[in-house]
Amino acid sequence: MSYKKLLTLVAPLLVLTFFAPGTGSAQESANCLACHTSMKGRLKTAGGTIIELNIDSEKFQASVHGSLSCTDCHMRFTDNPHATPGAAVPAEILATSSKISAKHTIDPVAAAACSKCHKETYEKVLNSIHGKNIAEKHQTDGAFCLDCHGSPHYIVPVKNPDSKMSRKNQIETCGRCHEDKKILEKYNLQENVIPSFIESFHGRKLHLGHTKVPVCTSCHNYHDIKAKDDPSSPVFGNNRIETCGKCHKGANEKFIPAITHRPPGPIPHYTEKGLIVLLLSTFAFIIVHVLLEAFSDIRDSVFRKGRKE
Amino acid sequence: MSQTNAETTQGIPKEIERFNVTFRIQHVLMFTTFLLLSFTGWGLKYAHEPAGMSSMWIRVWGGAETAGLIHRIAGVTMLLDFIWHVLYLGYLFATKQMTINLKTTVIPLPKDVFDVIKNFMYFFGLSKEKARFGKYSYAQKFDYWAVFWGMFIIGSSGFALAFPILISNIIPQAISGWIWEVLSIMHSDEALLAIVFILFWHFYNEHLKPEVFPMSWIWLNGKISTEQLKHHHPIEYELLFPEEAKKNTKD
Repeated sequence: MSYKKLLTLVAPLLVLTFFAPGTGSAQESANCLACHTSMKGRLKTAGGTIIELNIDSEKFQASVHGSLSCTDCHMRFTDNPHATPGAAVPAEILATSSKISAKHTIDPVAAAACSKCHKETYEKVLNSIHGKNIAEKHQTDGAFCLDCHGSPHYIVPVKNPDSKMSRKNQIETCGRCHEDKKILEKYNLQENVIPSFIESFHGRKLHLGHTKVPVCTSCHNYHDIKAKDDPSSPVFGNNRIETCGKCHKGANEKFIPAITHRPPGPIPHYTEKGLIVLLLSTFAFIIVHVLLEAFSDIRDSVFRKGRKE
Repeated sequence: MSQTNAETTQGIPKEIERFNVTFRIQHVLMFTTFLLLSFTGWGLKYAHEPAGMSSMWIRVWGGAETAGLIHRIAGVTMLLDFIWHVLYLGYLFATKQMTINLKTTVIPLPKDVFDVIKNFMYFFGLSKEKARFGKYSYAQKFDYWAVFWGMFIIGSSGFALAFPILISNIIPQAISGWIWEVLSIMHSDEALLAIVFILFWHFYNEHLKPEVFPMSWIWLNGKISTEQLKHHHPIEYELLFPEEAKKNTKD
């Protein structure tokens, strides 16, 4: 059989597969992944955004969303690679997608699709200081699902140490914005929050492998995160009595100023300076004394042998 | 020469007790807790540097949680040891078993400053004589009072940091804004001072010095030989054995 004959026989059958009913999610994903696992590099769309073409199918299937099909989130697409995206999208998702379109220029519908399963969480994020910046002020800054949880295709449980939101990794993840000078200036945010945490007792113990010390989200909450001067924030004023009290039973008004991201005030600053002076002068005295005494002992035993004291 | 030696052993005891068993136990408790505190505290003070080393070091001590527990237990034990020492001194004074004599006291005196100057002159070859000490040389007094300083600064701040809720109930509101920062600075900076102090001052004077190497055994048996007493603590020697001292100067 010639090659052309084979093609004329098989091609209509291939087209049939696009209309095959109830193929199941795995089958649908397989259709997309057939190409997207082998495609490499990035592509600039007509709209000017750059998209990553490659999907690591093994990593995707191992992720918490591995059993979903591509079109569960990419709702505007069908699994026909040749069809123009334009499938019907539920009105609710469409409305959400328009709110976040400033942030998600590539496929806002897919980014809005998270709310299909994570409705409650999604609402919390939209009402948080991060979400409002995107949905109400239409800014591109402000953490949204993927900024914290990483690529939507490879999300792993928070308990997994590789998660961007794991206890150890979230310091760096939050720091990507909260250490970004441009963002700090633009929104007049507290500086030095990440280094001050790392230097704190909590941060040191975390680094040494303590399993119970608090990390960012332990005090500041996560999805419904609020500005520190918002009275509903867990770190606002005396709300800290309850927040610190989660670990420190009996926390009170005089205990809660113990941990802060603010630089130390003048009293601790000058106390430290004074103690450093004391430290260095004591070091200088004892080291000079010890060395001189040692030299004089050597001198006595080598050059003044037999001399009576 | 041999004749005087024979006479010496007949007239006066070969060795005398310098520290009784209570003081010796207090010292052992002090240095074991000190070492435990230093080892576990160092890992926390330098948690981030050098890279990865502190995490490894803390694992040696059973991980961050266990190391923290060891640090707290050792800290409380050390404080109790210190309180025991102070109470014991009070008891010794009350029962007149201990009295203040300027030649044997551990209290710093102007003489100690002159002794330091004299020794420095000796080190530089400007004086032919070393300073002559009573029961405690200035080095020993420094060692002793350093512990008191450490107890007040590191011990009190450590106690406050280990039991912050308890302490927060008794501090005034006005200082709560900065006191916690001050406490952690005090604890950490002065702990470094204590460690370096012990490492250089105490280790040199009681371990590395040629005449005591590898260590002065007084911490175990509490005894000093009369010969050493005469050599290192001549003023105390003269006080204890005036007859013998006179004889020696005559020779």
